[in-house]
Amino acid sequence: MRTYLLRRLLQTIPLLIGISALTFLLLQLAPGDFLATMADNPQISPATIEAMRQRFGLDRPWWVQYLLYLKNVFLHLDFGESFSRHQPVFQVLGTGLSNTLLLASAAAVVTWGLAIPLGVLAAVRQYGWADKSLSFAAFLWLSVPEVLSGLLLLWFAARTGWFPIGGMRDLDYDLFTPLQRMGDLIHHLALPALVVGLVPLASRMRQMRANLLDQLRLDYITTARAKGLPEHRVILNHALRNALNPLITLFGFTLGSLVSGSFVAETIFSWPGLGTLTLEAINTQDQYLVMGSVLMASSVLIAGNLVADLMLAAADPRIRHE
Amino acid sequence: MRTRVMAACLLALSLVAPGCGGGKRAETAYVDHEPLPTDTMTVRMDEPGRHGGRFVVGATSSPKTFNPIVANETSSSDLITQLYAALVDIDYLTQEDIPVLAKSWSFSPDGRTVTFQLRRGARFSDGHPITSEDVKFCFDVVLDPELHPSMQDALMMPVGGKAVPYTYSAPDSYTFVVTAPATDALILPHIGNVRIVPKHVLEPAFRQKRFASSYTTATPPESLVTSGPWRLKSYLENQQTVLERNPYWCGVDAKGKRLPYLDEVVFRVAKDQDVAAQMFHAGELDGLDNVKPEDYRQYLADQKSKNFTVYDVGASFNTHFLWFNLNRFHQAEKGHKAGTPRAEPTKYAWFANRDFRRAVSMAVDREAIIRGPFYGYGVKTWSVLTSGNARWYDSTITAPDFDPAAAKALLDQIGFTDRNGDGVREDPAGHPVAFTLSFNSDNKLRASIATLLQDDLAKVGIKLIPAGMDFNTMVTKFRHELDYDACLLGLGSAVPADPGMGANFWKSSGLTHYWDISQPEGRPDTPAEARIDALFQRHLATTDLAERKATFREMSQILNDECFVVWLPTSIMKIPVSSRFGNVHPSPMPHRIMWNSDRIYQKQASGTR
Repeated sequence: MRTYLLRRLLQTIPLLIGISALTFLLLQLAPGDFLATMADNPQISPATIEAMRQRFGLDRPWWVQYLLYLKNVFLHLDFGESFSRHQPVFQVLGTGLSNTLLLASAAAVVTWGLAIPLGVLAAVRQYGWADKSLSFAAFLWLSVPEVLSGLLLLWFAARTGWFPIGGMRDLDYDLFTPLQRMGDLIHHLALPALVVGLVPLASRMRQMRANLLDQLRLDYITTARAKGLPEHRVILNHALRNALNPLITLFGFTLGSLVSGSFVAETIFSWPGLGTLTLEAINTQDQYLVMGSVLMASSVLIAGNLVADLMLAAADPRIRHE
Repeated sequence: MRTRVMAACLLALSLVAPGCGGGKRAETAYVDHEPLPTDTMTVRMDEPGRHGGRFVVGATSSPKTFNPIVANETSSSDLITQLYAALVDIDYLTQEDIPVLAKSWSFSPDGRTVTFQLRRGARFSDGHPITSEDVKFCFDVVLDPELHPSMQDALMMPVGGKAVPYTYSAPDSYTFVVTAPATDALILPHIGNVRIVPKHVLEPAFRQKRFASSYTTATPPESLVTSGPWRLKSYLENQQTVLERNPYWCGVDAKGKRLPYLDEVVFRVAKDQDVAAQMFHAGELDGLDNVKPEDYRQYLADQKSKNFTVYDVGASFNTHFLWFNLNRFHQAEKGHKAGTPRAEPTKYAWFANRDFRRAVSMAVDREAIIRGPFYGYGVKTWSVLTSGNARWYDSTITAPDFDPAAAKALLDQIGFTDRNGDGVREDPAGHPVAFTLSFNSDNKLRASIATLLQDDLAKVGIKLIPAGMDFNTMVTKFRHELDYDACLLGLGSAVPADPGMGANFWKSSGLTHYWDISQPEGRPDTPAEARIDALFQRHLATTDLAERKATFREMSQILNDECFVVWLPTSIMKIPVSSRFGNVHPSPMPHRIMWNSDRIYQKQASGTR
């Protein structure tokens, strides 16, 4: 198990180097650089732009810049500085990442908290009105783009005044008691989490339903029923446990995709996450900030997959990572 | 079990819910604990206000740094102008220079030297006195060759082809003397560019070459020492920046009461314009400075019932124009001889023809553009400074306006006629007259203007092909690759909105002299540009406003007679602000609402919109 973990961790290093090289290359291929927009300011002289280009090292060929970057990363664990903020990139990205993870976790609670019980309900009442209406609702939501659902919920918040219109904290947050702060956070988190969490709900619910139906057709269920076990115990204790197995792998994968999935919702709900920061960094070509955020998002994705593999091993005694 | 947990969660939520959202801070009466400085600054305002309250203004993004000397973009400078003061500033209403941390100044007879008397008793937000040593320190930092911040250009002047810095000294604690290497019309605004930071806090960082990474957004708010009316209370990236009053600020009202009136100013981030509008309507924002023209009507209709006021600011300072690619190779390279055009030679021959450019300008139906993409809220503009600029606007500057018949006659006259009857004219050599117009497609206004231009030019027999592209791609085209036909762009306003601030636009060697950028210094491509270069030099070398206005008029007129740029209309700005606040005077210059935040006040103690 330990060697497996070590091997997986070592594998991520060349993977991350590859990702960073590709990101760097794409950034170089994009027209202009961080100083391009500044050159459009009629008050800044060409000489000043040139001096800044030298200071940021942007006057060197791209491969020299990249090798220097790798050198700083490996020798000093220095991932560079944001051009616009004059701060180390991970200092800039830290709060953004934690806010995004917070939103992603809340969204995961929405997705799985609804997908599992609704999927079970749909399987147990197969072809019943509950099953049909759930499928209809889930697919309807699946076909609504995130931007639209986000704006609709925002409009709802504006009309009713029940929820804040975007943001993460009330202006008087500092004066709140810890309990009020938690309430304030949940209040702000509710709508964006709903938007992000409801997108994968339809497919997760259908998966849960299909898995459970597969299990219910197997012999051990017939045996359990024949023994005279009550139906709820047959489903919850026997069928459900086995039906959850494939979903555990999926859970790990969605952990990674939830980070990228929340970017749209972050913009609409002014949620101060990694997405907002990354988009801004790409637009201004703040190159080391882009690199840092891509590496961070990739690491989360890789970690999500690893967690999924480990969880699967823990849940299913037949699987062992040697 | 599960239901019990759920019930407990709901209960907890209902217990805390009253604390969130609507909970407004209890107001405590303002008490001024600090003695007023000897030299207070009495601020001009409509009416004296009352202390207390909070103003929440929308922002499109949060500041990137709180360091006034290395900051480069508007989201940071919007906050920095609130946090740090300079020796002089401009009055946004009259655009005149006004004293701030300096109480007065005097010019030497030759106009090159200014002696400032600093305000005695002015203090930083930590109570430390602001002296000429601090000012000198800031000048040292700005002119540091290694740090080389972009604002260094403001303290440099070209003399005999070389950039020479201002010289300065601090003979005593309250006197600061600056000498420009030559007469500089903009010496006061240039000095006003330097916002004062505390030497006693930042000198070690400067000596250790860490100045750029000081006063970042990661700096704890309480250790950010400011010189302006506000200090930082809290900062949450991409969320909100909260300012509270600097208890030592030297500004007072007519009754001698210390400013600012408001307890707090909040810059709240709403990335999306529609979201910002929703927040404003829900009362979460008190002011919005980027309303879309198509929404003006709705705002005007709602203002009574929703208790806000739509302020008419007049013409925006942002301009829109197009230009043709007149760039040439300045030296031989890659098989091109010096002097050969960058654009296709056939097209260059049209673009370089003044009559062609004038015909294009006469083909543009500007009123249709105002009725269309501007929703009626636009005005014609013929110069870099629009009619919104009371100090510099000159209604006598003219340019070829819409006259399709004259445009057709002019094109006939230069031999551009439609010989094959396909509706598109051919040049004398038989090439159909067609060119592409590049614009950044993320700007919806420019996209719709480009479509209208296509129709207008088709009516006189010129084929315009709109080419929308990413902004950076376009910038690379007109700045580095130089292989385009024509470009559609705009310029924003400088503060102050003074023609002298546009050196890069007017001078033929400038980077924003778009139609023919970065020409070799002193060797402009056309006689007209040589005249503009000389006029601009004169424009800056005098402090006589009448003479500066005359030179501005003359260079604008040459630019328009040559049609180097084809001017397009400018939008009229409307700014909605909650009616709960007094002394609100939105300006076309940034920051449009908060420029006078020190005197804005909340009219009643409580009450909502």
